[in-house]
Amino acid sequence: MSRPEFLKGVRVVDLSMGWAGPLAARHLADMGADVVKVEGCVRFDWWRGWEATQEWIDEGGAEKSSAFNTVNRNKRGITLDLGTPKGSELLKRLVAVSDIVVENYSAGVLPKLGLSYPVLAEVNPAIVMISMPAFGTDGPWRHYRAYGSTVEQASGLPHLAGEADDPPTMVHVALGDAVGGLNGAAALFTALRTKKRTGKGQHIDLSQSECLFPLGIEGILTQSVTGQPPPRMGSRSSRFAPRGVYPCVGDDEWIAIEVRSEAEWQALAAFAGIEGFRDAADRLRRVHELDAAVGAFTAGQVAEVLMMELQALGVRAGHVASGLELAVDPHLSARGFWKLMERDYVGELPHPAAPYRVGEEPFDIDWPAPTLGRDNREVLSDLLDLSAAEIEDLEAQGIIGSKPRLP
Amino acid sequence: MGKPTGEREAALAGLKVLDLGGTIATGYCGKLFADHGAEVINVEPAGGFDTRCEPPFLPGVEPPENSALHAYLSANKASVALDVEAEPERLAALAAGAAVVLDAGRFAAEDFPTAPNVVVSTITWFGRSGPYADFQGAGGVCWSLAGMVRNVGPEAGPPLMIGGCAAEIVAGLTAYIGTLGQVIAREIGNASGPVRLDTSVLEANLCFTEVGGVGGFRSGRRGRRLGVNKFAPTYPLGVYACADGWLGVTALTPNQWHSFCELLDMEDYAHEPKYQTAIGRLLDYDVLEPVIKRQVRHRSAAELVRKGQGARIPLAPVPTMEELFETDQYVAREAFATVEAAGGVRFRAPATPFRLFRTKPLRGGRAARLGEMNEALLA
Repeated sequence: MSRPEFLKGVRVVDLSMGWAGPLAARHLADMGADVVKVEGCVRFDWWRGWEATQEWIDEGGAEKSSAFNTVNRNKRGITLDLGTPKGSELLKRLVAVSDIVVENYSAGVLPKLGLSYPVLAEVNPAIVMISMPAFGTDGPWRHYRAYGSTVEQASGLPHLAGEADDPPTMVHVALGDAVGGLNGAAALFTALRTKKRTGKGQHIDLSQSECLFPLGIEGILTQSVTGQPPPRMGSRSSRFAPRGVYPCVGDDEWIAIEVRSEAEWQALAAFAGIEGFRDAADRLRRVHELDAAVGAFTAGQVAEVLMMELQALGVRAGHVASGLELAVDPHLSARGFWKLMERDYVGELPHPAAPYRVGEEPFDIDWPAPTLGRDNREVLSDLLDLSAAEIEDLEAQGIIGSKPRLP
Repeated sequence: MGKPTGEREAALAGLKVLDLGGTIATGYCGKLFADHGAEVINVEPAGGFDTRCEPPFLPGVEPPENSALHAYLSANKASVALDVEAEPERLAALAAGAAVVLDAGRFAAEDFPTAPNVVVSTITWFGRSGPYADFQGAGGVCWSLAGMVRNVGPEAGPPLMIGGCAAEIVAGLTAYIGTLGQVIAREIGNASGPVRLDTSVLEANLCFTEVGGVGGFRSGRRGRRLGVNKFAPTYPLGVYACADGWLGVTALTPNQWHSFCELLDMEDYAHEPKYQTAIGRLLDYDVLEPVIKRQVRHRSAAELVRKGQGARIPLAPVPTMEELFETDQYVAREAFATVEAAGGVRFRAPATPFRLFRTKPLRGGRAARLGEMNEALLA
């Protein structure tokens, strides 16, 4: 098996770093595009590590990041020092034979390097290029620095989560990144379709904070149409009850239950032996009493077993999984979601499947994330026709390389 | 229809998309197709899609046209009311030449002989195989199984689910990527014939936590929930009360930490060796958190953001829902557009989040009344 060839013949230059941009490019790679990830030996992908020391470099620290290794599989990896005229020239030559450029530098970085969209579009008028700064390419915040966490904060979504007396509540260490990456992929596929039909490329502007708005759409529209935000009610709902996360047997074990119909409630109440709640309105009115009754029942149950029992009765329930449980989840295992592959410096690592599939099996994955500069020779000779001597010269000048360097 | 795109052909012009699923996930997937110029038709049962029963509701508007969420999802789409089981011929005629059928688990690739290259894009909660395949799904349950709930909320628990429909939106967005990939593959000759693409809401939402799954595999340990707005490995990170609103803080690198300390008059902490890593600072949360809270409490969030960003620290305001629509950046970028529900009521809603400069997306737009295009499309 090998990865599908749906996008065979499409070439992508991936200048992006961190999570969002590399995830966008991963979707293209997973569907068969030739994605060439470009890093520098000094300016390497910061997701390899953001607290570099010489000791860390010498121990191969730059090759051990799970985060980096998870979002860069199926890509080829080269290094180019874009701050040098030669590095910049080689990048332009690479762009000239590519379809797509992905970048998520802060606004202003690429123009400073002389590699902005207008420059690259001159090199290749049909290029599709996505810039995905946190807040988009215009507006008063266009130069603002941000992480996925900053993006979640600025989206206002924390005002829709948590209990009323908690501060606005974030739900992830970097919510904006994955969503920015998905939207980046969506935007690239949209523009790729136009390019393949008309031969015309274009620039794409994506604001990662605006990408989060649809995730809070119910709350945003509530404000829009009623003039009031929805109340912050923790896990509870103003429409359904019980809806909550309840304790189970064991240390920090929980089950989520969301009852959305009377039939589900009847099934849950009979199974748990809960009596005394007349109807949905009564359950909503006495929700704290209801949650206590449900919690008293679940506290004696094993979360994963109870999930299976309740689901067999048609009740929406799921145990509250940790990362460790995702790695061994029986459903994900049965669906072949994780593929174990050997990777230099780290040994065997699980790789998550693409989130869509044709038929029963997930798309195969060809190779794990590249080590720094792994494909320098192959890419520079195959795509840019450089001779072995020229490549050695680039190495000697430090324009390419396979080991990180401190600035 | 939405604000015109200018003279250039829309990115997805010429694609016909039928939504036979009627869920929030298929609705959002179809919305992205519609925003970028595809012809999207909601094929609804006589009573309308279930999304018509989703809040919030437009005051003074009668069902089935009163769901603002449905109108948001359905702007620039057509609506026909058709019993597809009872009238397969009419469905076949409607589907003629379709590039995409959005489905919630009822259809197979071969069900549309009049659309020989159709991508049947099926979105289900847990996929069509595996021990959870027949599970009943909901957003919070799905996020719980995806590892998105465990780390949110107070240290002692319970962990917190969010409300709304984020899980379904993420699935619809994910399905859009896969579906369009299949469409392009057919257009460029890398694939042919009908196909069914399956997207599971659970697996789509693992985009947030897959790295945690890899971490769990490597460490063999379960992480601990640390508390509200407290996530490893980053600290300081959180939402802090200021004199004029809320301040979002992230300081990850040593330089950001030094500048953050300078901004908040916390120089004593800046160069302390144990605070030179994010994890080192997180381990001393109980020392640092009260200091940060005290140092920002009486200051202006807007001013701290301006000065902090000037010093390259990723700070941001955390606008309330009310403030969101008036936030400078979002006003300047026209991040919100006007949606018109079928009864003529207009409201503000997020515009499509990615913008192609050449083939510009539609912004906002009108949602069709249930069955509004029956005569035009089913005649």
